[in-house]
Amino acid sequence: MIELKHVFKRYSLGTEALSDVGFSVARGEMAFLTGPSGAGKSTVLKLICLLERPTRGQVVVNGHDLARLRPHRLPYFRREIGVVFQDNRLLNERTVFDNVALPLLVAGMTGDEVRKRVLAALDKVGLRGRERGFPLALSGGEQQRVGIARALVHRPALLIADEPTGNLDAALSDDIIDLFQEFNHHGVTVLIATHDLRQIERLQARVIRLGEGHMVNAA
Amino acid sequence: MKAYLTRHAQVFMRTLGDFARSPAATLLTVVMIGVTLVLPTGLYVGLLNLQRLTLGWQPRGSLSAYLAKGVPHATVIAAIRQIPGVASIRYISPAEGLRAFATSSGLGTTAVVFRHHNPLPGVAVVTPLGTKPSSVAHLAAQLKTVPGIAHVQSNLAWVKRLDAALALGHRIVVILAVALGLALILIIGNTTRAAVASRADEISVVGLVGGTNAFIRRPFLYAGALTGGLGALCALILLEAAFLALDGPIAALDRAYGAHYHLSGPDLSQALGLLGLGALLGWLGARIAVGRALRSRRI
Repeated sequence: MIELKHVFKRYSLGTEALSDVGFSVARGEMAFLTGPSGAGKSTVLKLICLLERPTRGQVVVNGHDLARLRPHRLPYFRREIGVVFQDNRLLNERTVFDNVALPLLVAGMTGDEVRKRVLAALDKVGLRGRERGFPLALSGGEQQRVGIARALVHRPALLIADEPTGNLDAALSDDIIDLFQEFNHHGVTVLIATHDLRQIERLQARVIRLGEGHMVNAA
Repeated sequence: MKAYLTRHAQVFMRTLGDFARSPAATLLTVVMIGVTLVLPTGLYVGLLNLQRLTLGWQPRGSLSAYLAKGVPHATVIAAIRQIPGVASIRYISPAEGLRAFATSSGLGTTAVVFRHHNPLPGVAVVTPLGTKPSSVAHLAAQLKTVPGIAHVQSNLAWVKRLDAALALGHRIVVILAVALGLALILIIGNTTRAAVASRADEISVVGLVGGTNAFIRRPFLYAGALTGGLGALCALILLEAAFLALDGPIAALDRAYGAHYHLSGPDLSQALGLLGLGALLGWLGARIAVGRALRSRRI
């Protein structure tokens, strides 16, 4: 599902974020990408979502060699993945329903199908009945759940999460990671960038370690 | 197709909702565009009124043949009829001429002093078949050879001057329309640029969940077209108000000269044209601004 081969990334200011990074995540697998701050976790996720392009090396996601992906195909590629951010990036002036519906609307879906899918996604994250509310009226954990519902509503094959529990307490973090695990059990490939060692130990999932832009291990 | 139309309807309704949420800012922009459009439109409609008014004044390109005193007009008219290139002849007797003079000059009762000694000659107003200056000039030369005609005066010169003035007016309207159309594009472009900047987070999220550039552009294009259209509507309202305010004084002036002319505002096709043009320019301004913003995105 995800394959990085000899990937280098140097930012325009000269900072080398990644140096010869390579690993793969199989379809249906759940893995943690971990390492200290500045190890390059976020850069790897940005490369996978094509928010950045590698300086050198190959990134293949869901069968797409991203170096060969034409710009006009980029939106359609992004519809194949779901992304959860640490700061959840919700639109605060839109309702919970509208936030979750966004990936369906951009894909051209309308009417009852949107409503059905949004309510089902909110049901899965335990927020059924809160669809008319606005994000700022929700707690941090609830906001993160809305972000997860938005990432999953269009049933992507791959779910990427960047520090999804970074702003949450231990109990809420457990709930969120359990949600990811549940989706993984339904066949969704999950890659979570985190430095929350407690979650890694709790789930016994595969761990890919980075250190200062280099691979430490991909076991 | 139904889904496509539904999506557009949703964006349209959301745009109206955005307008309703910030009524003061929307109204300010709409009025600014209205004021921008009202000047060239007002000048254009004013010129059309002037053109219509002058068309009724005189047969364009006609010739006035003044008869010598004491010559029987029937003989002269018959001689004129023999000249090729004459479309029609209208004879104005000295008495008719005096009455018309008394009315149009505003001298009224003063002109009555000439009732017993009318100094005006009879006039044959000759309309040529062709309106080309050369054929009118040729006819004038032939009229001068007719016995009993004392003087021939061509209306062509002032008609040419009037046409030149109207053409100049039209050109000024076109220049103003282009300049102010450009201003409209800039106003809406700038408004759109500010809207894009204030919705940068939303655009970023829409891009991340797979929104195409067309999807991102759509609400801004609707907002631009609607703002332009509403601005044009505002211009029409301002114009109608101005014409209503001017109609009374102009009618009074006309009555003083014995004429019956009413100022006309833009007709339905002109109004629809202005609305369409406003919407089109608004769409264009928004398209340019949002296109630039999207091109500046990194990937």
